[in-house]
Amino acid sequence: MTNTATGIIRALNSGIKHIATKRFTLRYPEEKLKFVGDGYQFDPSTGVGIAGLKGRHMLFHDHCTGCQLCSIACEGVAEAIAMVKVPEEQKQNKKSIMPQIDYGKCVFCGLCVDACPFYALYMTNDYELSSFSKEGLIYTPAQLAVKPYVEQDSEIVITKYGATHG
Amino acid sequence: MTAELPPGLAIQKVDERIMTLNVGPQHPGSGHMRIIVQIDGDYIVACDPDPGYVHRGEEKMAEYRNYITNIPHLERPVIHDSCNVLYPYVLGVEELLGIEVPERAKYVRVICSELNRCIYTMYWLAIYGIFLGHSTMFMWPAGDRELLIDLMEKISGARVTHAHFVPGGVRNDLPPNFEEVCLRQVNYFEKRIKEYAAVFYDNPILISRTQDTGVLSREDAIRLGTTGSVLRASGVDYDLRQKEPYDVYEELDVHSNVMKEGDSYARSKVPWLDMMESCNIIRQALQKMPKSGSVRVKLKPNPKGKGLDSVYKRVESGRGSLGCHIVSDGKVEPYRLKMSVGSFRNLIALPYLLKGEKLGNMPSVYWSLNYWPVEADR
Repeated sequence: MTNTATGIIRALNSGIKHIATKRFTLRYPEEKLKFVGDGYQFDPSTGVGIAGLKGRHMLFHDHCTGCQLCSIACEGVAEAIAMVKVPEEQKQNKKSIMPQIDYGKCVFCGLCVDACPFYALYMTNDYELSSFSKEGLIYTPAQLAVKPYVEQDSEIVITKYGATHG
Repeated sequence: MTAELPPGLAIQKVDERIMTLNVGPQHPGSGHMRIIVQIDGDYIVACDPDPGYVHRGEEKMAEYRNYITNIPHLERPVIHDSCNVLYPYVLGVEELLGIEVPERAKYVRVICSELNRCIYTMYWLAIYGIFLGHSTMFMWPAGDRELLIDLMEKISGARVTHAHFVPGGVRNDLPPNFEEVCLRQVNYFEKRIKEYAAVFYDNPILISRTQDTGVLSREDAIRLGTTGSVLRASGVDYDLRQKEPYDVYEELDVHSNVMKEGDSYARSKVPWLDMMESCNIIRQALQKMPKSGSVRVKLKPNPKGKGLDSVYKRVESGRGSLGCHIVSDGKVEPYRLKMSVGSFRNLIALPYLLKGEKLGNMPSVYWSLNYWPVEADR
């Protein structure tokens, strides 16, 4: 009986101690998590990626040759990449086709980035991609060329009074 | 009436005492599966687990994709433990293609695998807490998981479904300054999980509810073919990281946690002890890891197997032994791929454990088997 009583008091005591510890919850829309690096990138010369968040893609129009390797890499995965005609003319892109990505299908695995041999496709830290329509999730080559601005202000900090997002 | 009908559909004789009760499959404390229990008053007379509601055909899908594009979908069965689910597949493909993995990549894999094991176990523990009506034990693990999810996000760029392991190593190197951050957060994590003892594991209410319920004896555990924490909670010292070390586990000091009781309490405590062991392994791996070097071997665009060949690899996942059998016929796709998962093997013990138990003990016994419905159905 005494064992039971002390056990319950210990459990309550452990809970009460937490009134003094810091709050760990990340208050998401007000605070946003900080990421390492500038998004997931890939270096085809060494064959190794560079650590970063796998978010929305970024397409460099002056590097893309329209070789369709990203689209082929996506074939068995999500089939999110379609090659579309672009109005502009780049001298390395004879066919004038560039990838268009459907984020309703994309699983953010980043295999398309690994497939690109011309440093044309990277991933950025942008993860807020919601839209009111299915068409709004389809990003054209022109939209993919824009580098997003991502707010990052909060990081896990471990203090004497527990961990918190500061 | 023939007896060919699937379980639950056959017309049963109406009994005055025995009532048949369907628990699930709509997820209120059963996962995506159904447990058909026959009860006499408050006591369970018979139990028939009925999995298969979330079958996705992962094994068949694997036959139509090449060795690289198989990666994102093969980690879907257990998204919280995605590195461990992918581990046997990646080891198998490496043997099929004859790839030698760089030393640093092996250590990075061990770190990812142990972090993922903790992330999975914390989620499992949170559900175990809420099954017993202990809502603090739901909130705390769900919050403390975030420390490790943050680390995995730094390494692989995704919070779940990392797609980080590839045949030939890992996708990318660790970010700069990672060792220090990892050590700090893992140490704090270990301090946090030790606090669970007072509030949960030494709590007399939990002990009175779970001790001596659903006892699985050592002989039955071996006979039924259970694995992982269920097997170790019944007193069998069998951990694949120790007995069949893969990658660099033989260079690390792995201690396996064994409890003799074999009851629901022991089965819930062994994964918690395993998490502390995982923290030890991560610290060792960070210390012994080569400070620089390649983490990925460059592969040809569409790697092929060398003719007719088959390979079977298994690893210790969060739920026990997880095996992957790959048969190659020299094409870019595997000819056959089969997974042997710990969840399904542990579920076999459920009818034996529930017989004679009270119905109120069913959730704790069922979830203590470390069962993940999606993994069992593949």
